Amino acid sequence: MELSDANLQTLTEYLKKTLDPDPAIRRPVYSLTAEKFLESVEGSQNYPLLLLTLLEKSQENVIKVCASVTFKNYIKRNWRIVEDEPNKICESDRIAIKANIVPLMLSSPEQIQKQLSDAISIIGREDFPQKWPDLLTEMVNRFQSGDFHVINGVLRTAHSLFKRYRHEFKSNELWTEIKLVLDAFALPLTNLFKATIELCSTHANDASALKVLFSSLILIAKLFYSLNFQDLPEFFEDNMETWMTNFHSLLTLDNKLLQTDDEEEAGLLELLKSQICDNAALYAQKYDEEFQPYLPRFVTAIWNLLVTTGQEVKYDLLVSNAIQFLASVCERPHYKHLFEDQNTLTSICEKVVVPNMEFRAADEEAFEDNSEEYIRRDLEGSDIDTRRRAACDLVRGLCKFFEGPVTGIFSGYVNSMLQEYAKNPSVNWKHKDAAIYLVTSLASKAQTQKHGITQANELVNLTEFFVNHIQPDLKSATVNEFPVLKADGIKYIMIFRNQVPKEQLLVSIPLLINHLQAESIVVHTYAAHALERLFTMRGTNNATLITAAEMAPFVEVLLTNLFKALTLPGSSENEYIMKAIMRSFSLLQESIIPYIPSVITQLTQKLLAVSKNPSKPHFNHYMFESICLSIRITCKANPEAVGSFEEALFLVFTEILQNDVQEFIPYVFQVMSLLLEMHKNEIPSSYMALFPHLLQPVLWERTGNIPPLVRLLQAYLERGASTIASAAADKIPGLLGVFQKLIASKANDHQGFYLLNSIIEHMPPESVDQYRKQIFILLFQRLQNSKTTKFIKSFLVFINLYCVRYGALALQEIFDSIQPKMFGMVLEKIIIPEIQKVSGQVEKKICAVGITKILTECPPMMDTEYTKLWIPLLQALIGLFELPEDDTIPDEEHFIDIEDTPGYQTAFSQLAFAGKKEHDPVGQMVNNPRIHLAQSLHKLSTACPGRVLSMLSTSLNAEALQYLQGYLQAASVSLL
Amino acid sequence: VKKHSQHMKLFKNKGKDETSLRRQRMEVSIELRKAKKDEQILKRRNISIHVKEENPSLGQERAYEIIQPSLEEIVEAVNGEDTELQLLATQATRRLLSRHKDPPINQIIELGIIPRMVEFLGRADNAALQFEAAWALTNIASGTSVHTRAVVEGGAIPAFVSLLSSPHMHISEQSVWALGNIAGDGPLYRDALIAYDVIPPLLALVSPGTPVGFLRNITWTLSNLCRNKNPCPPLDAVKTILPVLIFLLQHKDKEVISDSCWAVSYLTDSSNDRIQIVVDTGILPRLVELMDSPDVNVVTPALRAVGNVVTGTDEQTQEAIDAGVLTVLPRLLRHTKPVIQKEAAWILSNIAAGPYQQIQQIITCGLLPPLVELLSKGDFKAQKEAVWVVANFMTGGTVDQVIELVRAGILKPLLNLLLAKDSKTILTILETISKLFLAAEKLGETEKLCLLVEELDGLEKIEGLQNHENDMVYRAALDIIEKYFSGEENTDLEPQTGQDGLYDFSVEKQDFDF
Repeated sequence: MELSDANLQTLTEYLKKTLDPDPAIRRPVYSLTAEKFLESVEGSQNYPLLLLTLLEKSQENVIKVCASVTFKNYIKRNWRIVEDEPNKICESDRIAIKANIVPLMLSSPEQIQKQLSDAISIIGREDFPQKWPDLLTEMVNRFQSGDFHVINGVLRTAHSLFKRYRHEFKSNELWTEIKLVLDAFALPLTNLFKATIELCSTHANDASALKVLFSSLILIAKLFYSLNFQDLPEFFEDNMETWMTNFHSLLTLDNKLLQTDDEEEAGLLELLKSQICDNAALYAQKYDEEFQPYLPRFVTAIWNLLVTTGQEVKYDLLVSNAIQFLASVCERPHYKHLFEDQNTLTSICEKVVVPNMEFRAADEEAFEDNSEEYIRRDLEGSDIDTRRRAACDLVRGLCKFFEGPVTGIFSGYVNSMLQEYAKNPSVNWKHKDAAIYLVTSLASKAQTQKHGITQANELVNLTEFFVNHIQPDLKSATVNEFPVLKADGIKYIMIFRNQVPKEQLLVSIPLLINHLQAESIVVHTYAAHALERLFTMRGTNNATLITAAEMAPFVEVLLTNLFKALTLPGSSENEYIMKAIMRSFSLLQESIIPYIPSVITQLTQKLLAVSKNPSKPHFNHYMFESICLSIRITCKANPEAVGSFEEALFLVFTEILQNDVQEFIPYVFQVMSLLLEMHKNEIPSSYMALFPHLLQPVLWERTGNIPPLVRLLQAYLERGASTIASAAADKIPGLLGVFQKLIASKANDHQGFYLLNSIIEHMPPESVDQYRKQIFILLFQRLQNSKTTKFIKSFLVFINLYCVRYGALALQEIFDSIQPKMFGMVLEKIIIPEIQKVSGQVEKKICAVGITKILTECPPMMDTEYTKLWIPLLQALIGLFELPEDDTIPDEEHFIDIEDTPGYQTAFSQLAFAGKKEHDPVGQMVNNPRIHLAQSLHKLSTACPGRVLSMLSTSLNAEALQYLQGYLQAASVSLL
Repeated sequence: VKKHSQHMKLFKNKGKDETSLRRQRMEVSIELRKAKKDEQILKRRNISIHVKEENPSLGQERAYEIIQPSLEEIVEAVNGEDTELQLLATQATRRLLSRHKDPPINQIIELGIIPRMVEFLGRADNAALQFEAAWALTNIASGTSVHTRAVVEGGAIPAFVSLLSSPHMHISEQSVWALGNIAGDGPLYRDALIAYDVIPPLLALVSPGTPVGFLRNITWTLSNLCRNKNPCPPLDAVKTILPVLIFLLQHKDKEVISDSCWAVSYLTDSSNDRIQIVVDTGILPRLVELMDSPDVNVVTPALRAVGNVVTGTDEQTQEAIDAGVLTVLPRLLRHTKPVIQKEAAWILSNIAAGPYQQIQQIITCGLLPPLVELLSKGDFKAQKEAVWVVANFMTGGTVDQVIELVRAGILKPLLNLLLAKDSKTILTILETISKLFLAAEKLGETEKLCLLVEELDGLEKIEGLQNHENDMVYRAALDIIEKYFSGEENTDLEPQTGQDGLYDFSVEKQDFDF
């Protein structure tokens, strides 16, 4: 593209079209779109220069702006030269852009300046400093222009170029660049800083000039932060006096002209002071040795600042930064003295902490209108940047050295605030809120979600405060009065649950149940959450602290109120309430049985409603857990009841499966497994009808479905193997197909083995006879081509299970029928060296029994060439009994578990209350596998006297022999 | 994520890359900081008049009004043949070069009189002239590399080397000083001096009777002969100097000891075979003793010397441990000077990079409490090193040792430093925490550790780091959160045990192992 008027004209037309609100023009369906056109020409030489010309010279402002945005995006997409890819901007254009962009940016109006400044920093990231050596001098030279529009443009660009120094790792390359920047930039920046401050005093009465100057100061302060971040540069150490003195005086500066009316948005003054707090904090943290002489001044200035700053939201960032600065300094032993004085402490407590703990209008708004956000901040600790939190951190910091005095001072405040409240609760309730918050932050030293406060300040009498000031509020007959105080009170119980004695908790329970009815979302949510937390507390013997018996009087009202709370506006999918329901079921056990009919109806309705559009994963999860609990508790007392659950649930389940509600399908399978396992007799026909559908490949493609589906198929096999064999024999290949699909995956092979083990254990042998050889071939192939430790472990368990079920001889025969001497090879190469890796109680037992059978019930082990493996196998078995598990994993396999498993993307969520009982297929047969070995050996030695003993005495190592003798003794048998 | 099996861990640091754990002092070629105040001075100008007693001409100076000749007059006199004027002019030059502020070194060099001054060094008949010339040249050589080069190119090296054996002690001493400045310029001139055989006459000056002031000069020059890398000083030279250094380390004078320590520290700042040469002299116990000196100027180089030794092999590190380094470190970790804390922590980090037996000695010698203390309230520079100690410890320590470290209270300050304003430190901490979680997983204590981390306010810090600008930091934080903190409280959801068979909860592994 030439730099011609015609081309400028074309480009203008197309740029205009990209702005057209009508998508038919912007992106017409059949003709070349404006955006496409621009993309198609952006590879041409001069294209960027045409854009620059337009943004400078176009008659229409909108085209200028549009050209600047297009230019920036063009740079963003194309400037970087990627290795092995063509250079997307020709060299002469690159040179021309770099030569012109800085003056162009500086002479442009602000809107365009910002775009060009961004473009410069993108280019700078690639080219600076090597390929753009004069950028810095070009920028620095503008400092002398005296034109602050230009200067701010330079500063903004510099900021976007240098801010990466704040987070990148130290490297020679990075530091070389910083050094270069410092050499060229530090002195001019310092001079500019001084000059700007002087100008601020000469223009102290000119509001518009001040605004520009303060914008510069903010940028200068930000640049200071970036340039000083990696290490303390020599230049800044030498000029610390200049910088710190000026920063300090800026902190104390105020000017009516700079104050803004806006309550929300921070003004220039606040932004500047906030950045200065950051700068001081940086020095205090990293360059303490050099900064020490200045620090006390900053401490004083910052707390004066805090004392004089108002409650408006616009000051929030400044205030929390400032408080955090004090909090970090007061913990340091060598600054302790700055805070030690009783007057200082008192004034910090009074003027900094207390005012910032007050409940503000903005908090009240959030409490009422944005309760979810409020709960997240207040309950889940996403309050890092709030004033309350900063004040709380300061209290904790001060308590490190001054716990006694600080507690003393605050006790006074707490009392006076409570008195204020008592005088006129309806007007002064916020005082009580602050008092409770103060007590909480003073008392809590360490906290977790699971246990609440775990370490408390011993100087605060938490129980007394609870009895005198928290309970009365909650006992009040009107649950909807002073909702904030109710929420405070409930939260108090919740977080101090481990400090308050049990009898007080028991007193609180009916109060909490009562507050489930509160209209305020925060209040009933907190009540549900508090109950849930109390029900999880553990007493002695790991039993729940609060027992079902103690809850007996409240069961009905608890369940009623919990389910009613789900109908309150704003709480129809409230996860805290649902979790409380689940926890109540789990605690109350059989005492909920009378209420089950109504409960299960309500849960089913809820399920139906939310399945239209599942949006709250936690809520849904607890809902399914609650359903599982209802089933387990009821069927434990009355197994017949399973039918009524099926009746209630299957309609909804069918709908979920038919509508393919993906989020819920894994849950449905788990609930169905649970129900199926409750059946004592033959598998019901309703389940059998579903069986073929469960083998559909589409279901198995979704990783989240695999574990619950395998579980469900296992339940089918346990309960209905013979039905499957007789009524659905044609589905057996499909079933094995699922096994094959699973075994093919390194991530899912263990699931495939679960399925296979169930097939082997439960299916009538004749029904799988024709497939057995194929199964082994498949396994051997996998073993040959891509064996992993996980696979080997499962494989070992499987072949031993097979041996237990079909006999050792059958195992040997089938192996050797696949390939001669296969049995010996597997013994030698897999079983003997790897058996140590098998983990799990039951798995080890299966292997022990299986190997015992091979040793003692497999004639070829005694009279063929396999005999040489007899002793090594016995030795391996004793090792399995006696040696610690070998959990080494070869280097190349370290990532399999993590990368090949679906992990967190999976849609599967395991339901704890749908859990499967551990199944031990050899349980009945063998109780103690060591004794079983001894007895089996005894039997063998009786059959061929002398053989066993002679093998043992010639080849078994001494240690193993000693163990073996122990087993024989324990079994009271001896070998012949 | 690597899983070390427990018994593999009992054997040596398998799978750990020694080169990455042991950290040599990283003399990054780029420094933003002011040149370190605690480093030894490379070149010195003689602005004192400590030699006046021995120098008759100085006595005269006081008697007469000093008339400073112009530069032209100096050139003329120096180049002339009048010995008296030569002396006066040389003296005037020396005075100019000895003034406190802004000595006119460049101008003097531009006069072109250096070769002539070098000639004066050879005037054995005129000790006063020799001395003044030596002094003037010393001060020129004390400047920048360009200045030093002017002196060397004027032919001064052989002249000064032969003056070492001057019968006049003050001349010999001034020559030592000048040679020190030349050696301090860098490896090139250092090796040139050695090639001119500076070492034998220099070492000959050391005797029990050498005055302390003189001995200080000699020691300093010796240290410059040991200094600088790329390349290191020739092996023969090192071997010749070492016995004398060891002798000097026994001296009573603090400055002599300090500079001898510096010399040893330069020799150990090198490859392992060079370190071995120093270790073989048996000097380590003395160095360790000096680490405990009340004088910071001795502690700093002694610390540096021993610190360099423990960057070496496990055996060399063991020698340092046997010499008692671990018994003095607790005090140094609590030293009032942050730089000392930092260097002490650096030493400890390298010992912690060793095999588990050495880590055990760290524990036995009571280093854990001062380490925790340093990590919680030391200066930031020192905290950064302390983080490395913890990182190395957790990598190479056995499970029991790691537990011991956690019991000592390391987690709180470690987690607090996640707020540090340094991306690398944050990343190191996150990686260390991941390792700790792996250990906890082995012990089945994951949940306990999760609670502990949360209780110590670590969780919210890690959560906050998910927004960090640095990619690696944010990913490391995300990784920990996803692996250990994102699960619902499954363990909490477990059905209660023992009530009936149905409620026995199953081992997840058997059901669905992800």
